[in-house]
Order: sequence, then structure tokens, then C-alpha cells
Amino acid sequence: MIGLVWFGLMLLAAEPERPIDFDTEIVPVLTRSGCNAGACHGAAAGRGGLHLSLLGADPAADHEAIAHAFEGRRINWVHPRKSLLLRKPTGHLDHGGGMLLDADSPGAERIVRWIQEGALRTSPRRLSAFEVSPRRARLATIPAEVTLEATARFDEGRPEDVTAWTIFQSADPSAVTIGDDHRARIHRRGQHLILARFLHRVEPMVLVVPWAAPDAARSDAARTDAARTDAATSERVPVDDSDSSPEEVIDRHVMRLLDELRIPASPPATDTEWLRRVTLDLTGRLPDPTFVALFLQTDGGSRREKRERMVDRLLSSDAFVDFWTLRFSRLLQMHSLPNEQQGLAAYAGWLRSGISGGTGWDEMARQLLTATGDSHVIGPANFGRMAADPRAHAELVGRFFLGMRLGCANCHNHPLDKWTQDDYHGLAAIFARLERGRIVELSARGSVTNLRTGEPAVPRIPGLRDLPADGDHREAVFQWAVTGPNNYFARATVNRLWRAMFGRGLIEPPDDLRDTNPATHPELLEWLAADFAKHRFQIRHALRGIALSDTYARSATPLDNNGPDDQFYSHALRRPLDPEVLVDAIADVTGVAETFGDGVYSRAVAVIDPLFPAPTLDTLGRCNRAAACEETLVRNATLPARLHLLNSALINAKLASDLGRLHLRIAAGCTTEEIVNEFYLHGLSRRATVDERSAWLEELEVTDRDERRRRLEDFVWSLLNSRQFAENH
Amino acid sequence: MRNPYSKPRGAVTRRDSLRIGCLTALGVGVADFLRLRSVRLGGQAMAGEHLGRSAARSCILLWLDGGPSHLETLDLKPEAPLEVRGPFQPIATQVAGIQISELLPETAKQADKLAIIRSLTSPLGEHGLANNYLLTGYKPSPVLQYPSYGAVVAHQRRDDGLLPRYVTIPEPRTGGAGFLGSTVEPFATGGDPSKPDFRVRDLDWFPGIDAARLRRRRDYLRSFDAAQAAVESSDSVGDPAWERAYRLATSREAKSAFDLSQEPDSVRVRYGPRMFGQSCLLARRLVERGVPFVSVINTGWDTHEGLVLQLKQGYSGAKVGVGLVPTFDLGFAALLEDLALRGLLDETLVIALGEFGRTPKLNVRGGRDHWPRVFSAVMAGGGVPGGQVIGASDQVGESPVDEPISPNDLARTIYTLLGIDPDLELRTGDGRPVPVNQGGKLVRSLCSR
Repeated sequence: MIGLVWFGLMLLAAEPERPIDFDTEIVPVLTRSGCNAGACHGAAAGRGGLHLSLLGADPAADHEAIAHAFEGRRINWVHPRKSLLLRKPTGHLDHGGGMLLDADSPGAERIVRWIQEGALRTSPRRLSAFEVSPRRARLATIPAEVTLEATARFDEGRPEDVTAWTIFQSADPSAVTIGDDHRARIHRRGQHLILARFLHRVEPMVLVVPWAAPDAARSDAARTDAARTDAATSERVPVDDSDSSPEEVIDRHVMRLLDELRIPASPPATDTEWLRRVTLDLTGRLPDPTFVALFLQTDGGSRREKRERMVDRLLSSDAFVDFWTLRFSRLLQMHSLPNEQQGLAAYAGWLRSGISGGTGWDEMARQLLTATGDSHVIGPANFGRMAADPRAHAELVGRFFLGMRLGCANCHNHPLDKWTQDDYHGLAAIFARLERGRIVELSARGSVTNLRTGEPAVPRIPGLRDLPADGDHREAVFQWAVTGPNNYFARATVNRLWRAMFGRGLIEPPDDLRDTNPATHPELLEWLAADFAKHRFQIRHALRGIALSDTYARSATPLDNNGPDDQFYSHALRRPLDPEVLVDAIADVTGVAETFGDGVYSRAVAVIDPLFPAPTLDTLGRCNRAAACEETLVRNATLPARLHLLNSALINAKLASDLGRLHLRIAAGCTTEEIVNEFYLHGLSRRATVDERSAWLEELEVTDRDERRRRLEDFVWSLLNSRQFAENH
Repeated sequence: MRNPYSKPRGAVTRRDSLRIGCLTALGVGVADFLRLRSVRLGGQAMAGEHLGRSAARSCILLWLDGGPSHLETLDLKPEAPLEVRGPFQPIATQVAGIQISELLPETAKQADKLAIIRSLTSPLGEHGLANNYLLTGYKPSPVLQYPSYGAVVAHQRRDDGLLPRYVTIPEPRTGGAGFLGSTVEPFATGGDPSKPDFRVRDLDWFPGIDAARLRRRRDYLRSFDAAQAAVESSDSVGDPAWERAYRLATSREAKSAFDLSQEPDSVRVRYGPRMFGQSCLLARRLVERGVPFVSVINTGWDTHEGLVLQLKQGYSGAKVGVGLVPTFDLGFAALLEDLALRGLLDETLVIALGEFGRTPKLNVRGGRDHWPRVFSAVMAGGGVPGGQVIGASDQVGESPVDEPISPNDLARTIYTLLGIDPDLELRTGDGRPVPVNQGGKLVRSLCSR
């Protein structure tokens, strides 16, 4: 309370006595007004002849541009208010960006005073701390309002209120809007994010509004708690997870947030739903019907033991290895190089045997980052060959090992993260000497130009330290990204494994991890990352924990009041099958293989090379090298894909085949009921309900044999195109 | 050093807004410009007709993949030294003072419709990069895939028509949806429209399947998905992409749009017997039926050797040239003539363009290599004033000497002609705002006299 009073007094001290500091007092005005945004003067080429550094990253250059460029014509020393710097954004002179600053506003006043004082940039202050309040607030209901505040410290000075110069940005303006009065108005229930930017610092703020009013059964204490919005009370007490199994930790954290948001959890999925889901997620296949029957019948032990046995069996299957080889090959952007298949063959072979043998991903990562030699023999030496040059190499390192988009820092400091241009080009410099021909080796020469300085970039571990210009620093990259205290690689990888199992990452998108893009369940992600590292980076260990959690086993059927939830795991999300998985599943159900390249491959998941000709997979939207394949989950839904499923041979020829499952059954004289049952079991991994069975019998049971065949084909076709089949749920 | 072509945005916007869509002279502002387009699209001829100018309804892009030689097509240099001027002579066109290659006699007869650009210039001389630049107006970036013209058009013209909004004949090169996503990817016909058995990929029913069975399949599918929707208590039974596919596959009108056999022989012959010409004819059928963007991909223009063989003859010993240029000539001229005859030319913007030009000096193999510093393109219809040449290259076709036009400038012009506000902000997948065109300079002479 005393703190609040003090804080309030501080607010009264509006403008300081000392001279205005350009770096920390003028630049924020420009940023707040949007002058140095990427779409305006912050663009690489500037606008209207004025170039400012993006979001004020380079105050020295900005001061030069404002006070000195064009013989200082932007500043009117005699009549500060008539300076171009003010006349333009206040609308007195024609300005492409329009009117951005009120002539009487504190920002304009501050600029005037700065010009009166000489428009100088002397001994700039440095921002030493930036804090926002509330960092996490819980509100009782909507609509609700919260006052946003920001304080900053410069050098060793006292905290100053910088709310007026901080940009508060709502991550989802349909949920939260922020007015000029720095009040956030919340229009939707749920957990919402605001980013607060001041100078080069960006801090996240989280606002939570429970989905439902506290029910009568809850105590008054809970209600009071819910009404409080100050930061201190909504910081949550950490949970002790030390003695728990991964699945217990997952369930505890997920349930805690669901409780906080008062989102009800759907009941558990049935055994068959769970089995289909986990088999598809771990092996990219539908469960074999004999498996289904066995799983339903065996009564050896509890449900928990049954599921453990099943998960272990799936994790040790060949199908698991095939499927995860494909998945990791996509993350590594593996592809064949022109006129050279051997490199990819060695690379994919290495990946496959690593996954098969359970090599820890720390060891895999070390090899990817440091391997040299003949890339036709040494698989991981191909990692850098997937990138055209050192910068692309650095970006691939960022994407795969860190789950981060370093590319932003090529042309300007990353606007939402800590990475600078020096970091980006410094990391690229580490790979600059790598020869990317068949023989991968370090040559004596090679550098990249730092676009900021125009000089050869100094090799650098991003965010940490410069390295000597000579020497091989790839091992240092490994230690920084994989085994270092930041746990970058473990966090990025468990987030991807989680996403593969749930259809949503704890952080989305999975290649955009940064402090300003917080996880829905931050403590859980940290725990899982640490646990992954502790267990020698074994993906089977991480996947097993997820697969055995109650969270994973929840039904996909939403309840009345949890339907809109798509990030808190109150119910399972329905996800379209990957094109490769879909094609293989169609082949398995119809009993006719789909082959690729004149029979080179008889399963789609085996087609590792995205450049291997496979028009069916292209039409269905397989990931190609050009796209970052993690970004979207909308697949199979394009017009060409639908037409392909409707009219092409992919399904039609298999249905018509004499050697296919359907015609073999018809020829064997099976009853319609038997056929319906069999396809339900194969395609949907469940038995038809009584109602379904009788409806289909009525529809399909006709005396004309040809007509019966046609109707049965149409039945199977529609089953294969139904959401129940084409989605994992 | 600033890029000389990236004009400061504020200034450009301000000035362009005075003339946007070339409506200015008549005092029509930006807001009017946008409204006007919608009025036109609404099918009622209003202000636009009186102005004699309105946004083009459709666009046909003839993409000459590989980089056509400007020196053998639209920008000949008969006065240049032998090693520059190449094997072909210029001929006069129907418009006094405009000459083009002798390999383009039919195009020459349409010169009153043509705006020939001879001063395109770009720094990118590699196919992939240049392809991207010319088809998007943005230099390729490693962090963002920009959408091509067709994708932006498809994104902006959301209607409920049967036919796809962005069709590529036969297969897309670069020039996909970029960050706008899969819903505006081009619909590729596949196949070769000049073949008697030409069929659009996956549009025809599989043998043994008829309309009744398709209907039954849809009914069965609906019953599967309705059961699912009931469980979820959601009311979204029909999947929009499914419904589109079903309607397209079962609609006689939609299918006939792709059926060239419905064209009289006299028309088919005019376009020439080869794939390019028949693709142009297909493009005309599609825009006639409301498809807003069709690209025809014509490959083979990467002529590093044998200009006479590749550009003129087509095969060695050919009596009548069936090479790239005569084939283009027939199809392109027929397309313009046909569109004009049907009253479609004013509302259909036709662009013939490749990713760069060819080196001024012939190489030792009698070919020319990549040359982006200056090259040519031609536009017609869609409100583009014909009978003019825009810009010029120097005496040897090496550099622009007059009115250099970057692909970025061209993009702003194309979007403006198509009635799409070039400053409109699109959103990337992660919410970044990216304008339709950034920093391009409107080429006025392509819009107004």
C-alpha cells in the first residue's frame, strides 16, 4: 500500500528538471507516435527522405537524421515549434503519415523543450530496468477494465513512470482493446496477452477472465479472490513437481489453469477413441482391427496398465520409426540436391537409425551441428547443405534448435526479441567457412557481411559473447543451444512433440519462441524441457508421458461450455490427418497400396524427399521445402484436394479393384452387415452403433447385385471422406 | 544509398491518390475509386462507363517463362553492331512509328491495342528470384513468401461463383499464394489444351461414376458428418471446400468453361494449333465466365543458344516457323482480337511478361544469356491506352534510357488497373501488416493518355 502511494506521488513529477535526454525521452515519443515503425520512416529505405532506425534501435543514427541531415532543416532553432520535425506530424504541413501528434500534447511539448535546449544528444542515459503492471491479472467477469502501467529505471536512477511513452499492444484486438488512457478493456473471456514496449524492451502482460462465474458452491473467498486484479495477488504459487511422473505433472498444470479459468473438462475418451488417437499420433497409422479387438478384450490389469503396454508397444514399432523420421526430416528441411540423391539417402538413413536406436537428441544435435566429411556417407554432414549460405544456415539453426525466427534480425534488430543484427550475422559468421559441396569441411576463408556495419561479421554466440575471428566455433553453438542453461533446444523440441500430440503447441507457432510470446502453461513447458534434458533427450520418454496423461485421453466431444476452448486442453482438438498419413490410411482401409515413383515406395510416409515426384501428395498439400511446414494445420481443404479425393484414382480405383478389400468381400459372399462392420472397424476403429448399422443396411441392402456393389462403393467412399475418418480426434 | 526506385511512400501515396485509377482528370477521388470498382463489379454500368475508364474486371497473364529476348521481340536494334542486333529484322506495325520483330506480324496488326514497355529494369538475373519479383512486385525475402498477383486478386474478389478465382494453365511456376495461404493458391488445370483429349485435372468423373452416384456420395457423406456434427452440437455440416468441389464437378456450365471443343473450329484455328494458343483460348473462355485471374504459363524462353531454331523455327528444317515467337504471335494476337470482338477487352487486362531480358551481345552458341537490366513487356486491354511505347532502352538494348520501370512500379500499376488499392494492407499468418504494394511508382502512361 505504501508502495502505491509512493508510486502515485512519483506520477506527479511529470517532466524532469535536467535536460531532455534524446535516447530515452525523445525516441519513445517517436516510437509511440509510430514514426519509426516498419511501415513508415523505420523502413529499410525510410520514407519521404527521412530514415529512422526501426523502433528506435539506433538512437545515434536517429539523432543524426533528425538534427543534422539536410543541413539540419528538420529543426528550426529560432522557432522550435516551426521545426519540420513537429510541423509534419502535427498536421501543419502535408505529411504522408497523416497527423500523429497533437501540437499541444506532452510529446510535442517535450520535443519543443528538447529543441530549445539545443536538440543535443549528450551522455545518453541507459535503460537499466523496465517493469509493467499488472504482469498477470485476473478479473471476475466481462466487460472489465485494467489500468496498465509501466516504470523504467535509467542507469542507477529511481524508477520513473513511463506509461505515457509505452506502447501497449493487444495480441488479439477482438478480445482486448487498449485506449489512449492506457486502460485495457476486455471483451472476451479467457487468457489474453498484451505486449508492452518501451525503447528496446518488450514485456508480456497476461489478463485472465474466467469462462464462467464462480458457482454457488465456491466459497466467498474464491469470489473475492477473483475480483482482485492487482498483480501481486494473481502471481501463482509454484507447485512442487519434484516427485511426480511426467503425466502427473502435465495433468496437474493443465487442470490448474482450467480451474482458474473455470473451464470444465470433457470426460475421458473411450478406449477405442484413445487407441485410434494414440496410434495415429505415434505411428501415423490407423490401429489394426485385430489390435482394437485385443485391446478391448484383454482384461490383464487396470486400464492404466493396458494403456502403458499399448504405448510402449507403439513406441517400439517400426511404424513409429518411419513416421518420426518423416516428421523430423520436415523440421530439418531435408531435401535432395540437384543430381545428387546420395546425400539425402545418407542423411535420412542416419536420422532413421538414430530414431530407431534411441540415440539421444543431444547427441543427434551435436552431430548435426558439427559433422564434416563426405556427405554421401556421413548423414548429419548434410545439415548445413540444406541451407544455401551461412545466413540460411544460421536461420535453420534458429528454427530447428531454438524454435526461433532469427531471420528478422538480418535487416534490423528483432523487434520482439532480444536478437540483434550483430547476433544474427555473428551466428552466420560461425558457419561462413563451411564448404557446402559433397565434401563438407571448414575452409580457410569465408565471411559474411554484417549488414549493420558493412564490415565482416564477428563470430558470435547470440546474446552472449563475441568469438575470435578464426577457429571452429560450432561446438560452442552446440553448447549454447543444446546443453546450455537456457535449454533452448529442449524447450523447442518438447513444444513440438506436445504439438504433434495435441495439435497445438504450448507456444504457438512452434518456430516463434520468445519471451514476448509466452506459453499458455509456462511452468509446464519448463518442467517438460528440463525433464527431456534429464532423460538424455529421448523423444520416446517425452511422448510416453504425454500419451499416458489424462489430458491427452480427454474426449474430443466438447461440453456445452468448453467448445470454444482451443488452447487449454479442456477437450481434445480435431486435427486433419497429414497428407501422407491420409493416403496411407486410404490404402490400408481399401486394401490396395498407393505407390510412388513406379513402386519405389509403397507407403507415403516413406517419401522423405519433398521433391520426389508425388502429385497426389502435392495436391493434398504435403509440406514442401519452400514453406515452413509448421505454420498451418489447414490441409486437405483446398478445392484441388477435394476434387482429387472426389474424382481421381486415389480412392476410386482402389474401390473398384478386384483385389481390394471391398470386392474381395463381395466375391466371398459376405453379408452387407459384415462389410459395414469391417469398414467401420478398419476405417473408424470402432463398431457401428445399432442405429448406424440399421440405417446402412436399409440403404445398402438391395437385390440388384450391381446396384449393391455400387452402393457399397459409395458407402466406403463417403466413409473415407468423412471427418471421422480424415481427422484425428 | 537509397534504391532509386523506392520512392518515399508518403509522397507517392499523396501524388498517386490524385491520379489513382487514372480517374483524376475527371475529379474522382480515392474513395470514389474504390466505390466505383464495386459498382462496376455489381454489374451496373455507372460512373465508370461515363468516365470511359473503370477498373479491369479480369486479368490474363501470359507468363513467358525463362526470360524472353527483348532484342528479338519488342525492342529490336537494327542499327546496332552485328553481334548485338541478332538474326531478325523489325517490321512496321499498324501504328506509325512503332516497330516490332518480323516474327510478330499478327501482333503488329493489333498494335493499336498495345502498350509496349521497353524500359523494365530489375537487379535480379536468376530465374527463381526474378520469377518471384516479377510475379509479386516484391523482391524475394527469406522470411516471407509474398503473394502473386493472382493470389491477391483471388483474395480480394471473394464471390460465390462456381469457378475458381485464380486459374493457372497448365501448372503454376512460382507465383503462388505466399502468406495468403492455401485458399488462394492457383487452381491448376494440368494437361495440354491443344490435345483432343485435354481434360482438367480431377474435374471429370471417374469411369463408372455418374451424377446419381455423386449425389449419393454427397448424401452419404453428409450423413456421416451430420452424425459427427450432432455429437458436437455444431451446425456446420457442409464443408465449404467440399461444396465447391461438388458443385464444380457436377455443374455443366462450370465444366463447359474448360471445354474447348465447344469453340467453333474457325475460332480455334485463329489461336494457332499449339498449346500456347489454345491455352489463350481457354483463358478467354474463363474470363468470359467471370474468372478474375488466369495465368497461362509458356515455358522455354531461356534461350541460351540457337535463337533462330528456338525463337523462329521450332525444329530444324521447319518450313513454317513454329518456334516460340510465331506461336506466341498467333495466340496473343488472336486473344486480343477475340476479346475486342466480344467487347471484353476493355474489362480484361492482358499482360505478356517474362522474368528478364537477354544479353545484348550474342554468345558463342548463337544465344543470349540472362539480362535483367533492361527488358520489355506488353500490356493491352483493361483500360490500358494502346498504340504506345513506354520507355526506351539504349542503342544496344543494354540499359534503360528513358522512364525506367521496376517490377515494383509495374506491380503498383497492375493492381491499380485491376481496381485493387495498392496501399491496402494484407495480413501475414502471424499478423504482420504487409501492403499489396510497397513503394512502387505508378506508371501513368499505362493508365491514361
